[in-house]
Amino acid sequence: MSPRVLHRPELSADELQQVRWLLGGLLTLLGVGTVVYMDIEAWTLMVIAAGATLAVLYRPGLPARLPAWVHTLAFPGIVAFFAADLWLKAEVLPAMVRLDMLLLLYRSVTYRRRREDLQIIVLGLFLIVVAGVLTVSLLFALHLLVYTACALALLLVVTLGDGGAPGPSGPVVPGETPAWAQGATWRPLLRRVRAVLDWRVLLLGALLFAGVVGVTALLFLAIPRFQLESSMFLDRIITKKARSGFTDTIRFGDVSEIQQDNSVALSVDVSDQGQIPSAPYWRMLVLDAYADGTFRTSRGLRHQEFEAPQTGTQLRGTLRPRPGEPVVWTFFLESGVSRYLPLLGPFESLRFRDVQNVSAAPRLAVLALRDEPVSMTAYRVEGFDLSPALPDPTFAQAWRRRQETGARTFLQAALPEFSRPADRAALDRALAAATDGQKLPAGEFARRVSEWLKANHGYSLAPVIPGGDGDPLVRWLVSREPGHCELFAGSFVLLARAAGFPARIITGFRGGSWNGYSNNYTIRNADAHAWAEIFDEGSGAWLRADPLAVAAAMEHDTNRGEAAVAARLDRSWKARLDSLRVFWYRRIVSFDQQSQVETAAAVKDAATTTVRALRARLVALSSSLHDWATAPWDASRLLTVAGGLAAAAGLAWAWLRFGRDRWSGWSRGRGGRRGDPVRREAGRWLHLLSGYGAGAEERQAVIADLQRVRFGPQPTWPAPEKLFRRARQAWRDLRRQRSAARR
Amino acid sequence: MSDFVQSGQLTEAKQALDRLRANMRLTIRGKDDVLDHVLVCLIAGGHLLLEDLPGVGKTTLAYSLARSMDCVFSRIQFTSDLLPGDVTGVAIYDETIREFVFKKGPVFANIVLADEINRATPKTQSALLEVMDRARVTVDGEAHAVGAPFMVFATQNPVDYEGTFPLPESQMDRFLMRLQMGYPEPNDEREILRHARGGYDTIALNPVATRTEILGLQSLVQQVFVEDSVLEFILRIVAATRTESEFRAGVSVRGGVALRTAAQARALVHQRDFVLPEDVAELVGPVFTHRLALARQTSDALEERRTVTAALKRIVGAIPVPR
Repeated sequence: MSPRVLHRPELSADELQQVRWLLGGLLTLLGVGTVVYMDIEAWTLMVIAAGATLAVLYRPGLPARLPAWVHTLAFPGIVAFFAADLWLKAEVLPAMVRLDMLLLLYRSVTYRRRREDLQIIVLGLFLIVVAGVLTVSLLFALHLLVYTACALALLLVVTLGDGGAPGPSGPVVPGETPAWAQGATWRPLLRRVRAVLDWRVLLLGALLFAGVVGVTALLFLAIPRFQLESSMFLDRIITKKARSGFTDTIRFGDVSEIQQDNSVALSVDVSDQGQIPSAPYWRMLVLDAYADGTFRTSRGLRHQEFEAPQTGTQLRGTLRPRPGEPVVWTFFLESGVSRYLPLLGPFESLRFRDVQNVSAAPRLAVLALRDEPVSMTAYRVEGFDLSPALPDPTFAQAWRRRQETGARTFLQAALPEFSRPADRAALDRALAAATDGQKLPAGEFARRVSEWLKANHGYSLAPVIPGGDGDPLVRWLVSREPGHCELFAGSFVLLARAAGFPARIITGFRGGSWNGYSNNYTIRNADAHAWAEIFDEGSGAWLRADPLAVAAAMEHDTNRGEAAVAARLDRSWKARLDSLRVFWYRRIVSFDQQSQVETAAAVKDAATTTVRALRARLVALSSSLHDWATAPWDASRLLTVAGGLAAAAGLAWAWLRFGRDRWSGWSRGRGGRRGDPVRREAGRWLHLLSGYGAGAEERQAVIADLQRVRFGPQPTWPAPEKLFRRARQAWRDLRRQRSAARR
Repeated sequence: MSDFVQSGQLTEAKQALDRLRANMRLTIRGKDDVLDHVLVCLIAGGHLLLEDLPGVGKTTLAYSLARSMDCVFSRIQFTSDLLPGDVTGVAIYDETIREFVFKKGPVFANIVLADEINRATPKTQSALLEVMDRARVTVDGEAHAVGAPFMVFATQNPVDYEGTFPLPESQMDRFLMRLQMGYPEPNDEREILRHARGGYDTIALNPVATRTEILGLQSLVQQVFVEDSVLEFILRIVAATRTESEFRAGVSVRGGVALRTAAQARALVHQRDFVLPEDVAELVGPVFTHRLALARQTSDALEERRTVTAALKRIVGAIPVPR
C-alpha cells in the first residue's frame, strides 16, 4: 500500500499579502494608540491616523486612489512639518512623537513592501518605548503584550511571503491596485487562516511567546536589585592588570626591568592652584620589614597601624580643621593601579563618591581599600599637610621605650640578621665612607647618605646587581652599578638602620604633569616611585629622604603655585586627550548633583537661546523684506530687480544647458547607482555565481538567463523574480557543494 | 521588422556560422580563436589585416574562407611597381564598339587577398583602401560596385621592412581588425605535415554558406542589442586611449564604432543576441592595436605592437567592467 500524502490547505500568496496588510494595520493602530498614555498633544493626529488606517483596512483598494503627488510630497512634507513643529513648540520629544505618528500614517495608507512592514514595527516600537518610559499602567502592559504578539506574527508572515510569493520584494507601483487588494474580504480570510493554522504550530508559538514574556518579566523584576557597579561582571573581565606593580613587597635580586607605561594612573583637581607643590610625593604604601632581599609590610605594622575596615563615604583625618577655606584635592584613581589610595600626607577629611570599604593607617598616612577597584575611584580630600616631615608621636614614644627597655616596636626598624657576617661588615664600611664615621643627626645623615648614594650609582630602569653570595641589596649598595628608585631607597634604609636610625620605604608616585587644557595634575604609571623615610628623634617625625632627588624631598616647598605649574606644564596632544577624560570625570562623575544640574541647565539655556535668536532673525528678515517691498519704487530699483532676475534666469539657463549634464556625467563617472534595478539585481547575482568555472548545467542556464536580464534587450527577458529565485537556489547549491568539498 | 534579433534568426545564424567554422577547420588546424575572429570580421563587414611571418597560413586562411562560401576569390601580390590600375582595373579603348570599356581588376571579387600590402607605393595602396572604404571603383566618372560581401585580407610582414611603404595611420584605421596567426601547436603542426599538399589552389572545400546568408548575417549584426552600460564601457576605453600619454593619438570615432560592431558580431558568433562586456574586452586588442601609434619612436614594428598591446591591456584592466 502506498503511503497517502495529506495536503494541508495553504494560504495563497494573495492571502498572505492580505494577512500582512491586516497585521500592519493592527500594528499601526496599536502604535498610535499609545498616545492615550502620554501627556502629549497628539490626539488629532492619533484620530486621523487611526481613522485612515481603519479606512484602508476596510477598503484595501483605497491606497491606489492616492494621487502620485501625495507620494512625491510625503517625505518633504513630513520633514517640513517636523521642522516647523520643532521650531514653533521647541519641545523635542513631543515633536518626535508627532513625526513618528505622521510616518506611521503615511506608511499605513500606502502599499508596503517587506522593508516598509519592518518600518511599521520600528516606528510603533518607538512610540511604545516612549510611552513605556512615561507611564506605569497595567493597561499599557497589556497593550505591550498585544503589540509584541502582532509584531512577531507580522515578522512570521513577512518571512513566509519571502519564501514563496513574489510580491513583497517586488516594486510597488503607485496608483495601481495590487491583485491581492482587489478581492480582499476579511471574514472569509480569517476563516481560511483558521483552517490553515495547525494547533501544534499555534501551541509552539504560544509557548515561545510565553517564554519570552516570562524571561522579560523576570528581568524586569530583577533589574532593580542589581547594583550596576558591582554586578557589571564584564567590567571585571576587562580590568587591566596592575600596571605600576604596587604590591606589599619589593624584591631585589631578581632580574627586573621596569616597563615604562605612559597611561594615566591618577588625575587630581586642586581647588587652589597656589597650593600645588613643585615636587609632590603621592604616598601609597609603607614597607618596613627586610629579609632575604625583600622589603615587605610587616605583619606587626599591618596589625598595629591599620584600623578596622569601615564602610562609608566619609573619613576623618588626623589633622584638626584649620580656620579658613580648606584646599580641596579631588582624586580620580584609574582602575588597575592599586587598592592603596595615593595621598599627599595627613589630611583633615576625606570623602568618597561611592560607598567604599576602607581601612586607614592614619599615622602612616596610608589608606587601603578592601579590594582593588574595578572601576575608577574618586575621592576628595580636604586640608593636606604638605610638609616633608610626618609627625608620629606614638612611634616616638615606642622608640624611646625601646631604647630604654629593649622592648620591641611593632615596626621592624632594625637591621635583619644577615646570613653572612661579611654583608654586615660591608654595610658598615659603606656607612663609614658615606658619613666619614661621624655621628650625625637624622636630617643631616639623610642628606649625606643620599648624596653619597647618588654619587656612587647612576640611575637606570634596567639595574645591574652584581653577582655573588649574600644579600643582593648590599651587593648593589657597595658596587657602583646603576639602579632604579627601589634600590636607592632600599639601600638608604639599610644604611640608616645600620647607623641606628629607624627607616622605611614608601612607595607611590612622584611628580606628574600639569595638564594645561583641563588644569589638573596628571600622574602616569611611569611616575611610580619609591623613596625612604627616616625617623628623627629630635622632632619626633619621619623625614622624607629621596636619594634620587635630595633637595626636593627634604626641603619645604618654596616653589609652590604658579611656578610649580609652569615647571610641569604639559600641552601635548596626549594632554589634550587626557583633558577629555578629566572633563568627563568632572561633569559626569561628580560628587554632588550640582554640576550635573549645571550641565543640563547650560544645555537647555544654549538650546533656548539658539531658538530665540533664530526666531528673532527670521522676524527681522521678514520685516526687512516687507519694508523693502513697500518702499517707493523708482527706475533704479526696478532696474536692480530686473537685473537680479535676469542673472538668476541666466544662472538657471546655464545650469540646464551645461551644469546638469556635467553633473550627471560626473555622478555617472563615479559609478553611481543608476539604471534599471532589475538589471542591477541581475548583475549582483551574476557576479556571485560566475567565477566558479563551469559547473552544473542548471547553473550555466541560470547564468545565461542572468546575462540576458543584465545585458540583453528587455522584451526578451525571462520572468525576473523566478530567475532570481533560481539564482538563489543555484547559489545555495554552490555553497553546499563547496562546504561539502571542504569537509 | 523587430529591432531585436528573433530567436529563429539566432538559430539560423548559429547554424550558418557553425558550418563555416567546421569547414574552415578542415584546412586551418588548431587556430579556433583566429577563426572566430575572422568570422567576427566577416559578419561585421570589416576588413582584416594579417600581420605575421610568411608561411604561417595567412593565404590558406583567406582562401579557405572564400572557398567555404560561394564567393569569388582573388589575390593581388603587391610589389613596388604595381600600379593602381593593376588593382582596380583600367578602361581600355575597344576598337569594335569605339568606346572605352572598363576592364575590371582583381579587386572585383568577394574575398580579396592583398599580399604584402606594404610593398606597394602609397598611390597603389590608396587605390585599394579607397575601394575598401566605398566598396566600389570609380573610373571615368562611372562607379562600379565590387562584390557583396566584400572583404579584404591584407597581409604584411612585421620583420622584413626593407624597401616597404608602411601604411599611414589614417589608412590603418580602415581595417576592422589586425590579427596574428602565430605558429601552430606541435600536435597541429604534425597533422599539417602529414596532410598538407602543395599550394593553396589544391585546397578542395565545398561551399557551405551562400552569399545571401552572409549578407543576412551582416545585417543581423546591427540588430544585436548593446546595453547602455556596455556602451559606456566602450566609451571609457576609447576615452582612456585618448588621455594615455604613451600613445601619439587616441582611437578615432571610427575606431569606437568598429569596436561596438565587432563586439556585436562576436556576440552573434557566440549565439547571443546581446553584447556582454567580455565581448568588448576580448576584442579591444585586435580592433585597437593597429589604430594606435606610440608617442616615442621605436625601431622595430614588433616591439611597437607589443608595447601598444601591453598599454591597452593596462588601460582596459583599470576600467571597471560593468556588473
